[in-house]
Amino acid sequence: MPDGRGKYRRLIGIQLRISLLTAMQYRWDFLAQGLMQLLWMALSVMPLYIAYKARAVAQGSSLTATDIGGWGFYPATMVFATFYLLKAALDGAINPSLIGVVDHIRKGTLDFVLLKPADAQFLVSTAKFELWHVIDGLAAAVLVGVASQRFSHSGAPVGAFSASAILASLLLLLCGALLLYAVWLLVVCAAFYVVRIDNLSYLFTSVFDFARWPRGVFRGALHVVFTYVLPLVVMTSFPVDALLGRLRPQEALWALVLTGLLLLLSRWTFRRALANYTSASS
Amino acid sequence: MTAGAHVEVDKVSKHFRIHKRASGLKAALRSLVHRDYEERRAVVDLSFSIAPGERVGFLGPNGAGKTTTLKMLSGLLHPTSGNLRVAGHIPQQREPEFLKQITLVMGQKQQLLWDLPPVDTFELNRAIYDVPRGQFQETLEELTRLLDIAEVSRTPTRQLSLGERMKCELAAALLHRPRLLFLDEPTIGLDVSMQVVLRQFIRAYNERFQATVLLTSHYMEDVLQLCSRVLVIDAGTLRYDGDLVSLVRSQRPEKRITLRLEGEPSPEQLEKLKRRGLVQHERTQATLQVPQKELRAVVASLIEELPVVDLTIEDPPLEEVLRDLFAKTKTPSGRAPAAS
Amino acid sequence: MAGLKAYPTLLRIGFAEAIAYRAELLVWMLTTTMPLVSMALWSSAAAGQRLGPEQMGQAELVGYFTLTLLVRLITSSWVLWQLTEEIRSGTLAQRLLRPIHPLVSYTAEQLAALPLRGAIVLPLALGLLYFFARGQITSDPWLWLCFVLALPGAWAINFLSMALIGLLAFYVDSTLGLFYAWIGVYTLMSGYMVPMSLMPAWMAKLAALLPFRYMLETPVRMLLGWPLVGGAKDTLTGRAEAFWSLGIEYGYVVVLLVGVALLWRAGLRRYAAFGG
Repeated sequence: MPDGRGKYRRLIGIQLRISLLTAMQYRWDFLAQGLMQLLWMALSVMPLYIAYKARAVAQGSSLTATDIGGWGFYPATMVFATFYLLKAALDGAINPSLIGVVDHIRKGTLDFVLLKPADAQFLVSTAKFELWHVIDGLAAAVLVGVASQRFSHSGAPVGAFSASAILASLLLLLCGALLLYAVWLLVVCAAFYVVRIDNLSYLFTSVFDFARWPRGVFRGALHVVFTYVLPLVVMTSFPVDALLGRLRPQEALWALVLTGLLLLLSRWTFRRALANYTSASS
Repeated sequence: MTAGAHVEVDKVSKHFRIHKRASGLKAALRSLVHRDYEERRAVVDLSFSIAPGERVGFLGPNGAGKTTTLKMLSGLLHPTSGNLRVAGHIPQQREPEFLKQITLVMGQKQQLLWDLPPVDTFELNRAIYDVPRGQFQETLEELTRLLDIAEVSRTPTRQLSLGERMKCELAAALLHRPRLLFLDEPTIGLDVSMQVVLRQFIRAYNERFQATVLLTSHYMEDVLQLCSRVLVIDAGTLRYDGDLVSLVRSQRPEKRITLRLEGEPSPEQLEKLKRRGLVQHERTQATLQVPQKELRAVVASLIEELPVVDLTIEDPPLEEVLRDLFAKTKTPSGRAPAAS
Repeated sequence: MAGLKAYPTLLRIGFAEAIAYRAELLVWMLTTTMPLVSMALWSSAAAGQRLGPEQMGQAELVGYFTLTLLVRLITSSWVLWQLTEEIRSGTLAQRLLRPIHPLVSYTAEQLAALPLRGAIVLPLALGLLYFFARGQITSDPWLWLCFVLALPGAWAINFLSMALIGLLAFYVDSTLGLFYAWIGVYTLMSGYMVPMSLMPAWMAKLAALLPFRYMLETPVRMLLGWPLVGGAKDTLTGRAEAFWSLGIEYGYVVVLLVGVALLWRAGLRRYAAFGG
């Protein structure tokens, strides 16, 4: 009987279809949530704009010529939009299904997952997608596009927006999403040991909030922490640096290595947690 | 090891180490440094074997270890010691070929997707279990017919009643035609007519597909109707393994009569009741325990002699019957067990 | 009022609960990162410059957002979630059966958690204030007094407005939208993400009329010794303005108190009518 790749591809298709059907059940919620996210995004871009404006006035320069931490207004906006793009992935694809694990443990239905002849991590990671986040994801992508376009007309460095730059930035964006997934999975594994972790998803997003600013905003120790410990800079600033053709090769390498390491670590931790759940180890 | 057995359990034990969760700030701080453990023995030295196609019931009070045993048999828990073999596999290794042969249905828990109709869960399970389309259709049609869920399976799960949900749960659990059914309190919370429907279905499935059924319940009726053989478990140990008829006959269960009188019983009336086997009384209500043989006579005389407004006859609670069983096996002197 | 005698007991029980849920409390408090996120941006934005009409430099902005964080941690409450959940699930009925007014018991629960929150926030506060905002805090004891007096008012406005929205769960299916709208306006009008002096003038004037600033901006500016922005009484300065602001703040508390009481009564009638 055919097994392996085909089966998992089919499963993802079915899970997506199920999420879509579920979303259609709550059609108005779908739109309302999407719109709320958009409004929120518009609201949060204000401080960025006002900060640049205020600095521009204080310096006596134009908006586009002002920089904060060595980052101009448009590149900063690109990082901001990348943040919201990743946030859409987090809220739409990563958070809902992994939160389901916590729910399963509490209700005792994780057993059903373990009884199935399919990889448990795959099953729980694809269980639920909140598809309305496609709306704000698209909006964020559009914002990146617009800011890029504006920037390319006013002071973009040589090598920015080249084909290889775009490819590199997409790859790093993927890394960012995978990093989010891996870290989030690690957090969720805590639910196996400490059953009450409702607030952890809020904590996660609260820490992730720092990623909305470009790396230049963080100096000294903070920059080190956000690059090597909590890789927020890797997630949102690296893809933009790559797009602008100014990411250094060792940084790109670090992103790839870190992603691989965290994916392996999170899978290992998840399996350990499952083993503990079935008291394989005791 | 018995040849050809579907389920083999050999001296299996399961111990849990539970952290004692203390209350209060001081205790909480202390627990950071030193953890207090408590060992709970859920299953102790359990041994039995089940042949293919058998319908076996696990009887026992709450906390007896029935669910733990089922979980070990389905690979969800690792035993602390002993050997387990189900369908020739070691359950805890959770090999796909093993998982495709079993199914576990848990009474109060469901695997059906909440916002969508059961048919979508069926589709999902088909993909997960790799069931070929043709076989899937066939099985689905048959299950739909047997369970009568043609319409409900197309209604969102959240709109279904508990009974309808349970039927669809069963369908979802059996789509891959498992050879082994582990049923953990499947009829809990259901009304009597639905319980009957489910029992009939399980019997039908067992006969049709030659599937082995392991059922835990603390409803005596489930086991009486479905299982020819029972395993009685209490405090993790096996107390009885044999056919049910013998157990019931050997127990000679008594019947419980609950009376409601017109007014509070007078002292003479109370004396009469005590002679008949009064167990407890409160205001206008009285409960008696009467041997099966004397039932008709006692009821007739009660109705004649006392101002009875309402009368119910039922089996004594299973816990009591089993407690009697354990008391009997523990006191070989043959003293009659004290009433309740 | 019925149940006031039991208030100390309620507080004690609430305190015990807070201890039991200490991990959740800690995590919940850690989720207030927005002031720190803002601080990161603004301290970089002000590097080597002074921003806005108030000429705020790095030190000033760091001081501002440090105080924003502390005030927010002390004055926020989660009664909205509790109220909505209990109305929705029907467990409000249990509270109604008790001889204590449910809103009173909610305040007890929120307040009882304060000592624990204070215990977590205080060392943080002292540390942050010492390292980052030392030079910014005012030395005027009267302004200190105003600050201390402003905090309960800020807590009350927070609690009452959250309760108000939560009570709307008697009428609408989902209060989440309302809550987000509220938070959105709060963000704009209270100086949470951007000091009000940098906001468009019309917005600052509007904010002067609304209660949002008293939840955050007022106490913060009091302790910093900064004037309020777009204040109605442009002629008042310093202490006079601070005392005047206190007055308006508690005025809002009274208004909200009345609003909550009325909505409670009306909503309860509806709740009973529809069987909860």
